Amino acid sequence: MVDQLPNLGREKEMLDAMGMSSIDDLFADIPEAVRMTEELPLPPPQSEEEIIADARRLLGANVALGDRVNFLGAGLNRNYVPASVFQLVTRGEFLTSYTPYQPEVSQGMLQAMWEFQTLISELVGLEVANLSVYDGSTAAAEALTCSVRVHNRKAEQKDTVYVSELVPPSRRSVIYNYTQGGGIEVKTLRHNPDGTLDLDSLAQAAGSCGVYVEQPNPLGILDGGLTRVKEIIGQNTAFIVGVAPVSLGIIEAPGNYGADIVIGEGQALGSPITYGGPLYGIFACTKAYLRQMPGRIVGRSIDVDGKEAFCLTLSTREQHIRRHRATSNICTNETLIALMGAMHMSLLGPEGLAKLAQRNMAACQLAKQKLSEISTIAVPHQSNSHFNEFVVELPGPASECIAYLDTQGLIGGFDLSTWYPERANWLLVSFSDQTKATEIELLAAHLAVWSASLMQGVSA
Amino acid sequence: MSHLFEHKGADGRGYSQPEPVAPVDNLQIPSTLVRSSPPRWPRLSEPEMVRHYTWLSTRNFGIDTGFYPLGSCTMKHNPRVNEVIAQLPGIADIHPLQPEHQIQGTLAIFHEMQDMLGICAGMDAVTLQPVAGAQGEFTAIRCIQEYFRSRGELGRTKVIVPDSAHGTNPASAAMAGFEIIEIPSQEDGRIDLDALRAVVGDDTAAMMITNPSTLGVFEPEIAQAAEIVHDAGGQMYYDGANFNAILGRTSPGLMGFDAVHYNLHKTFSQPHGGGGPGSGPIGVKSHLAQFLPGPVVKRRPILTGDQLTSANQEWWYHWHQPANSIGKVQQWHGNSGAVIRCWAYYRRYGRSLKTMSEHAVLNANYLRHRIIMEAEKAGVRHLFADGAPVDVVKHEFTISMAPMKEECGIGAMDIAKGLLDKGYMAPTVYFPLIVPECMMVEPTETESKETLDKFAKKFVEVLQEDPDVLHNAPITTNVRRVDEVYAARNLTLSYPFDE
Repeated sequence: MVDQLPNLGREKEMLDAMGMSSIDDLFADIPEAVRMTEELPLPPPQSEEEIIADARRLLGANVALGDRVNFLGAGLNRNYVPASVFQLVTRGEFLTSYTPYQPEVSQGMLQAMWEFQTLISELVGLEVANLSVYDGSTAAAEALTCSVRVHNRKAEQKDTVYVSELVPPSRRSVIYNYTQGGGIEVKTLRHNPDGTLDLDSLAQAAGSCGVYVEQPNPLGILDGGLTRVKEIIGQNTAFIVGVAPVSLGIIEAPGNYGADIVIGEGQALGSPITYGGPLYGIFACTKAYLRQMPGRIVGRSIDVDGKEAFCLTLSTREQHIRRHRATSNICTNETLIALMGAMHMSLLGPEGLAKLAQRNMAACQLAKQKLSEISTIAVPHQSNSHFNEFVVELPGPASECIAYLDTQGLIGGFDLSTWYPERANWLLVSFSDQTKATEIELLAAHLAVWSASLMQGVSA
Repeated sequence: MSHLFEHKGADGRGYSQPEPVAPVDNLQIPSTLVRSSPPRWPRLSEPEMVRHYTWLSTRNFGIDTGFYPLGSCTMKHNPRVNEVIAQLPGIADIHPLQPEHQIQGTLAIFHEMQDMLGICAGMDAVTLQPVAGAQGEFTAIRCIQEYFRSRGELGRTKVIVPDSAHGTNPASAAMAGFEIIEIPSQEDGRIDLDALRAVVGDDTAAMMITNPSTLGVFEPEIAQAAEIVHDAGGQMYYDGANFNAILGRTSPGLMGFDAVHYNLHKTFSQPHGGGGPGSGPIGVKSHLAQFLPGPVVKRRPILTGDQLTSANQEWWYHWHQPANSIGKVQQWHGNSGAVIRCWAYYRRYGRSLKTMSEHAVLNANYLRHRIIMEAEKAGVRHLFADGAPVDVVKHEFTISMAPMKEECGIGAMDIAKGLLDKGYMAPTVYFPLIVPECMMVEPTETESKETLDKFAKKFVEVLQEDPDVLHNAPITTNVRRVDEVYAARNLTLSYPFDE
């Protein structure tokens, strides 16, 4: 027996009122040739109690990050999210509302999103932010197509953008899917052996539509050289920076070193990892890109009494008006997750953000120090500064090391050969505000044991 | 009016954190990258923060607040147990790069969802990766594009959409690089088969269409349309925004479609959260399966050596990369948290999903009937016209306020604002574009007969209001009619700190 249907058992009464005799009358317009004649081959309905029991059994079979000592990040970050965020975001007025098409009864979400735009603008140092795109990967892709719309007319390298070679294949694939339709060629920017961007070869990107790099980059490196990118590529090429938003508590806002568009994975502010979705993509830009920006934007306005009020604005960029000439097909975005971000940010404040960034960076730096003391492994980019994560070079395959750490109760990190096949022995280890010093010691001890046993095996 | 940025507190002590695990006075930050000035964020203690967001929530209308008949958006009740389940650590606190043996429960649920969605739509293979309906459309069109490329049919560069289509259809196809051919609908909103015949050819890649149409009307000639497109060598794409109308009664597969997207946040009750997150899985027929974004979940019988868990009763679940996958449309595995909620919702119905759709259609027809009856009784039936003159509608219906606009200058937007004053969310207005002064009403299956009866009465009361009252509506809301032109002309997209 199903629930959730207030009119169950009252069908006849309602059909009678319409002069109909059966539910079938309501579906008489479906031609016989396309009617489904068999019952759906699915199990019977369940009660709430049965569903939650099954959910507990199935999801309880998973190993949660919190059950283990965890060093897996790779762009997602398990920061603590304050309890008040979860309590407030499930208020039905937020949770069960649709896109605020009727601003008079949607001022709460509209204002919250306008405040979110302000928080993001301030964080990244740019004038304009939208109220989220799907995630960091689609944000990067949308930024690149946006740069082509803005710069292609005057570009010497038409329909061409440049992307850092370190951008993982999974993100690059999203970029390809979003750009190939426009005939956009995605060229590659090289990095130096120490992991920083090769500024000498960057000059080739001048005259293209856009350049996309990440800070910290996918190896966790904070690259001081990025502050010189804009002067090298020039005014007519968009400088697009992908950020880890928490880092900006202590790291310079890219808008202050020439970025035209800043995007990023917002998750670490406000949201659990949730198996990689829902997340929220940050998208901010200078005013020069505003009219070609994807996604929804809230503006401040007035009502007929002259009272401050908020509404969606610049919607002539969007698909429901511009249709196939829209700046993007995006409509549904990640508003509720962005709202969680706004709540977390407003609780942190500027000092709290700085401290959160310091905690993340201190854990990473401590780990780098401890792991670099182990003679049987190496930290290839040790002289660089890192945020959240860094690479450990092992004496054997990272996949085997991760399997060993799994038997010891550790989620040991990420096997970078998944992204860079030639790097079979590179392990990406990640640290967050939740990382404890004792956990770092534990990782160091296990890596020492595993690598030593491997070295012994090799010498024997 | 209270602004977040007016909370200035003295310092960051409103929210305390543990001390860092190591001293922070020698953090190795490159000198050029030291933050020069902090963001001008507000400073709130938890009491202030909780009050601010609670206050904002009271200025927002959700399904929990009242009836939300927003056409095409399927605003049904969101069962709360789904929220509880989505916060379990087995979904909230897992990482998409964890090895398969650590996430058998999630993979089991994904597999069940892929199967269920395939069954309901008559499709052979499903991916859960697209994170919104529009992204699902784009993904399916990309699969179709690669299908033709694999066959060397490079001249198939056009996608056909009816003029009643959702704006995302042409936008998604254009993003994939297709040229859009828009065909007019017939007077009653149905597909014009002659217009379709006139545009199909060896340059046709696909037709994108939703059925029931955006008018809430089932296209009786859908199979013929599919035949025309298929005969020309094109593919049929089903926009699943209106899927809530037909589960268990027909399916896109039976109608002749090759690919379909699902709006899990509509049909399967992922709460829409003021604009997202959504989830937009796609299903395809077998000939398109090899192009799906990867990976998708497969299962095999349990083997010796598998690290069995409480999720492995008969099967071992694993990721599988389709042979000629288009790659990724989201970096990870889609909006998994939404998929889990929708799994919990689906489990409430199981094979009775048909009953869910029947009640959605029952409620839509009943409300339409009630509005007409009330209007006749009050002598105002002449003030609105049917969007489509049909005996039965499906999950939603459209009415045109053009007669009223003609008679007294009151249009769909004024009626919408009048309904806000009655305590309702307004129906969708001015869509589809082919119905003048359109209002699109979708009650969903989770509204009671009493709610529908009352709404019909109130709707007709609004029709009888003094035009001046409606021009001035709303007056009971937090703000009155908002000047959207002012917002666009005086762009203030963030808090003006210097004002």
